[in-house]
Amino acid sequence: MNGDFLALLPKSVVPQVTAAAPEAVQATTVFAFHCREGVVIAGDHRATAGNTIFSDKTEKILDLDSHSLMAIAGVPATAFEMARTLQTTFEFYRRSQLQPMSLQAKIRALSKLLRDNLPATLQGFGVVAPIFAGIELSDPKAGPCIYFYDPLGAQFEAATFAGSGSGSGSIKSVLHFLEKWGDPPPGEMSVPQATTLAIRLLMTAAEFDSATGGVNPELELFATIKVLTRDGIKTIDLKEQERCWREKAR
Amino acid sequence: MLEGKGSMTEEPYRWLEAIGNRREYIRDQIKGGTPVFALSRPEGILLLGIGHGQSKIFEIYDRHGFAALGHPVDIEKVRQAAIEAAHIEGFNRSSKDVTLRRLISFALSTTLKNSFEQIFSPPLMVESLFAELGETPAEDILVRVHYDGNHRYETSGVLVASSESKQEEEAASWIRRTLKAKDGLAQAASLCLTAWQSLVDNKPFTDLAAPEDPVLKIEGKSVEAALLDRKLPGSVHYRILDLNRLKN
Repeated sequence: MNGDFLALLPKSVVPQVTAAAPEAVQATTVFAFHCREGVVIAGDHRATAGNTIFSDKTEKILDLDSHSLMAIAGVPATAFEMARTLQTTFEFYRRSQLQPMSLQAKIRALSKLLRDNLPATLQGFGVVAPIFAGIELSDPKAGPCIYFYDPLGAQFEAATFAGSGSGSGSIKSVLHFLEKWGDPPPGEMSVPQATTLAIRLLMTAAEFDSATGGVNPELELFATIKVLTRDGIKTIDLKEQERCWREKAR
Repeated sequence: MLEGKGSMTEEPYRWLEAIGNRREYIRDQIKGGTPVFALSRPEGILLLGIGHGQSKIFEIYDRHGFAALGHPVDIEKVRQAAIEAAHIEGFNRSSKDVTLRRLISFALSTTLKNSFEQIFSPPLMVESLFAELGETPAEDILVRVHYDGNHRYETSGVLVASSESKQEEEAASWIRRTLKAKDGLAQAASLCLTAWQSLVDNKPFTDLAAPEDPVLKIEGKSVEAALLDRKLPGSVHYRILDLNRLKN
């Protein structure tokens, strides 16, 4: 009994593709950045298939357990399955071993799923480039961390922010600018300030990326925004986002 | 066979005798185990056990808990089997499809019965109870599962698992009679601990009165409590309960 849930399954949960597939795209915008209280992780709601908007109500920020989250960018079928696999893996380990999985093990569990997905990634089908946010609860001094991955499974810790998806280029530029010259920089923002920033970032991404959308406060369309602290995960609900937007978090 | 050439299991009367001996052996082995409790309350399902630091109550799945007495290694085997079955079902279908009725009927009771009847392998020496949290106390499910796979569903909202079935029922009846609908978790836990002490001391329940001040600890023992919390947001409802922080 080693607490490995995947060992209980008869085969790999990720699809093994052998046929040629179309060019890889990660049509979305998800990002995470540190704020004063913890880590903000946010994403738009649009899912696309080529030039077609598939849905404007897609949840891309998924709770994996009480203290870890995943933002998905890439092929939804594979990404959702990875998130579901991790949710069960973390809870199975915690319950069977009577202790939570360490942060490093969680980070590597996602890395392993990405590596197992290598055949689909290399063929351009099933590419996933997620962002992970978590916290090492066994260390009383540890704060939340952000990790981003390449589609082959390499993980990198983000000191200040990370972004993924086709709309993340413009967002990363803005976040870099704010970290250097912002007053306050995102790392010193309160949660309401960071919420307003997250909405603005998604609107900026949507301006330049057709695959990012579904966020427009004037039409009462808001993003998924969550905050991770040592107390757990807090979802900034639509009402709260609207309040922050109206008050511009002054 | 009549001439003694067959194996023991081919002779029905010897097989019955072996099963009887096995039952006696298991009962003797778990005699020293102390009782565990499950109470369905408006706040959720209270699980309670008392021991020497060895865990007796456990989380199985989002809305499911388990409490047992017996050999620690066997408790662990049953716990692992329940957790594995629940997580595979929850992963392949959904968490809503993980129900106690299916877990007991298809995964656990069969395993326990097989283990009990395989007379040439060691038996699983576990007396246990399982709980499933519903939306309301009326929808909660409590099941008493015996070492031989036999099980019964308890509808009164009070379930005790002990090594002696007569005393077990007396303790459960006393708690049912004494616990009032408006009583909080502290009072519910206190009655469990009072009943536990009476069971361990082998005292009758006929003259036993509810303590005036809630009893929330037992000298020299570690009291372990958990709540399948009805109001806890999110999918996981199990949480460890610190009895000292409970308000009356």
